[in-house]
Amino acid sequence: MANTFLTVDDITRSFALPNGGQYVALKDIDLEIAEGEFISLIGHSGCGKSTLLNLMAGLDQANTGGILIDGRQVTDPGPDRMVVFQNYSLLPWQTVRQNIALAVNNVMRDASEAERRERIDNSIRMVGLAHATNKLPGELSGGMKQRVAIARALAIRPKLLLLDEPFGALDALTRGNLQQQLMEICQQSGVTTVMVTHSVDEALLLSDRVVCLTNGPAAGIGQILKVNLPRPRQRLEVMEHPDYYRLRSELINFLQQQRRLKQHRQTLSANLAAFEAAEPTPTAPTTAMAQRKLRIGYLPGLDVAPLAVGMERGFFRERDIQVIPVVFHRWQQMEEQLRAGDLDVAITSASAPLALALGLNGQPAWPAITPMTVTRSGNAICLARRLRDLGIQSLEDLATLKGREWPLRLAIGQKGSMQELLLRHWLASGGIDPDRDVEFQTLSPLAIQAALLAGEIDGFIAGRYRVAKSVEAGLAFVLATDLDIWSGHPEKVLTCHEGWAASHESLLLEFCGGLIRAGQICEDGGQHEGLVGLLSRPQWLGNDSALALQRQFDLGNGQASGRRLPLNRYHSDRAHVANSAEGAWILTQFSRWGWSPFPSNRLELLGQVYRNDLCNAALEQVGLPALRPERQPLPMACGLPFDQDDPIGYLAQLPFSHTTTQAVVPLPSGDAQRTHADH
Amino acid sequence: MTSLSATPRSKRRPAAGWLHSPLASQIKAPVLCIGLTMALWQFLVQFNSEGFPGPIQVISQTWDPYIIHPFFDDGGTSKGLGLQLLISLQRVAVGYILAAVVGIGAGLAIGLNRFLRRGFDPLIQVLRTVPPLAWLPISLLLFQQADTAAIFVIFITAIWPIIINTAVGINEIPQDYTNVARVLRLRKRSYLRDILMPATAPYVFTGLRIAIGLAWLAIVAAEMLKADGGIGFFIWDAYNAGGDSSTSQIILAIGVIGLVGLGLDRLVGAVGNVVAKGGK
Repeated sequence: MANTFLTVDDITRSFALPNGGQYVALKDIDLEIAEGEFISLIGHSGCGKSTLLNLMAGLDQANTGGILIDGRQVTDPGPDRMVVFQNYSLLPWQTVRQNIALAVNNVMRDASEAERRERIDNSIRMVGLAHATNKLPGELSGGMKQRVAIARALAIRPKLLLLDEPFGALDALTRGNLQQQLMEICQQSGVTTVMVTHSVDEALLLSDRVVCLTNGPAAGIGQILKVNLPRPRQRLEVMEHPDYYRLRSELINFLQQQRRLKQHRQTLSANLAAFEAAEPTPTAPTTAMAQRKLRIGYLPGLDVAPLAVGMERGFFRERDIQVIPVVFHRWQQMEEQLRAGDLDVAITSASAPLALALGLNGQPAWPAITPMTVTRSGNAICLARRLRDLGIQSLEDLATLKGREWPLRLAIGQKGSMQELLLRHWLASGGIDPDRDVEFQTLSPLAIQAALLAGEIDGFIAGRYRVAKSVEAGLAFVLATDLDIWSGHPEKVLTCHEGWAASHESLLLEFCGGLIRAGQICEDGGQHEGLVGLLSRPQWLGNDSALALQRQFDLGNGQASGRRLPLNRYHSDRAHVANSAEGAWILTQFSRWGWSPFPSNRLELLGQVYRNDLCNAALEQVGLPALRPERQPLPMACGLPFDQDDPIGYLAQLPFSHTTTQAVVPLPSGDAQRTHADH
Repeated sequence: MTSLSATPRSKRRPAAGWLHSPLASQIKAPVLCIGLTMALWQFLVQFNSEGFPGPIQVISQTWDPYIIHPFFDDGGTSKGLGLQLLISLQRVAVGYILAAVVGIGAGLAIGLNRFLRRGFDPLIQVLRTVPPLAWLPISLLLFQQADTAAIFVIFITAIWPIIINTAVGINEIPQDYTNVARVLRLRKRSYLRDILMPATAPYVFTGLRIAIGLAWLAIVAAEMLKADGGIGFFIWDAYNAGGDSSTSQIILAIGVIGLVGLGLDRLVGAVGNVVAKGGK
């Protein structure tokens, strides 16, 4: 942004409830507003729009975070930030002129009498009320009162104009006229304006950007929409602009999704209440015991280190959770058991919750959620040794193989996994069409080495442990790592059924808390030896893993080992966040490769699947600060950052994208009463 | 249907036009009802052997001097009703104005200061329920003088609604106006003049109106017990005299007290409407 005028930095505002609790109205709001910009805040009632406006005005103070205007922190209200209140707030005992004069005389104390009078007259004329100067507000219509309020606000030349649903109480005709007038006035004076509104059309007509707030409690910014309609705008012309209806439907979509999300949460908790009422817990201690059991599915790999550490250190036992780890060798198998309810939770690929919720690969949609990210990064793309001997040292070199070693046969652990998405993205960024030039083979991670040896594959993408073993065995070399694709991408996440999570929330939170503490230990360099010893036990990776884990090996490409394989991130740098922006990227890739239409109700879907609220509750339980996803675009190594507010624009710029269709995807409903609690 | 029935009615109207004039239609009902009450009263006293007067006797027995010479003065306490009223009104005026000044001041302080409000609220709630006459003995002890004591009783009776309403008015200043003041950073004086006073005025006048009624109640009672002159004294004096026309004098005085009380209430109401115009 060229000229940041106002910065909302990490604002959280909560109110004390009479019963001693806290109502969090706004949570973690970040926003930058440029000088002269017109911003609208839109969202359902009770989402904290007006609270945010009051914070900007200085009428209210945030619990954490702050607001900077021109580099100075807002601590109290002042005339440089004039507010036009919802119900006009004119003094009924003063005439139009006196009302405006009160503001002008107070603010322009040093100006001469004549100067002030001129200012007052001008602002009355500006809103066309010269004939009503000596009337009391009670004698004016609603529209006229609002014009007086606007005149009063602008008469003192504020730097920031704050409008709280200024036209809410007016009839349609007056509303339209006033919107047009306000737009002209703002444009002439160049004042930076923030307006709270309910009306989608009003927001689009007036704004440069529309900031959409999610539902309270703990409302945040759901989406920021740029309105690039040419100025000066005319009501009717704007509506004929080709972009208008796209923007409009985007906004309406957002609001509808927020409403459905709210309803969805309500049904879920209602179901849960009915479920608990139907099952009297105190009579049967065995049920209580059974509820503390947690069956977790995983595939061997470095990603399970937190689980291993958590169990070893007794993080779960001390909370009376009996964790039953169930090892799988194929991702497919594990997902089937998760769907069937034989597993409570699973450590899955980061793309799995969305794939399950969308019902990819012809499966029925399943209401998956993810409460936390288990690991980030840790992947590498390896090619068979044979190709190194052909002189392949980079992605560009690989592209030159076209026509010779073609199509490339590359192994992935699971169709639609995060690894496949990364591999495809990386190949496409080097001019290789994954759908035409590559033959993907889905192999169990355990089978990769054998396939390499047999010459059945030319390469693969896998986690550090598999890569290390293949490099160690002299079968493969590393061509690219996460750093070359997306550094810090989510790799493995915890996945479970939405209904199960709702009915076992405390169990899930305590389990997540244990995993988070274990993640801290996994990343502690001093614990490395112990970690390797633990992981090489037979129930995790096995005896021969110690060798691969212990050595600081090179990438197997003959270069000096200046660049080492990046390690998994288990904890640091906000690793645990269940970040819906990352989910949005995953959705773009699903749609890019034609696996699903791009969901036009993506925010609803992401809101349902990415439960960072659970992550934060778990963090709080173990005494760690809450984490929140940032709104900055995700940096990608290919140079095209991903902006979660404009996924369609992003898709359009990606090479080899299928023509994307957008569609409303039906969301699986999380029924709390599924047959699950009985194992 | 309406048009059918409307025709005959409009035909009949010119015959008794004055009966349908706005003034007539307004006083028709009270005149009729009060007239009937008087007739009933007159009828009922026929059976009373004690000689309790009916309305006709009341007027005839007090016609001279009380009704036609309200301002006669025979020296001492023998004065016309008008003079007695003036004495009472004078006392009320002094006590009431004192109560208004002190009450508004105290109400402002309590309304603006949360500590004072919390601290004094219980005391105010208890004292405001004390009946006026309960104050009289202590007031006599304090001031030793009947006249001052009566004024004090009026003061102490009238002050509570004024304090309470003023404080409530300040509390009830709409958030919108306070927000305007905060955003404009109004100076203290301007805040008092442009926002606090106009916004609180309607509440203050509600308090003043309740207070004048209470003050008028209190003065009659106080004068009956201990005073020289005044309308309350007049009633008590007539009662003690026990003459033929005593009862009629008492009844006449009651009527006058009622009318004056009504007049005072309306007067304060009218002043309030003018001063606090647009406040609500």
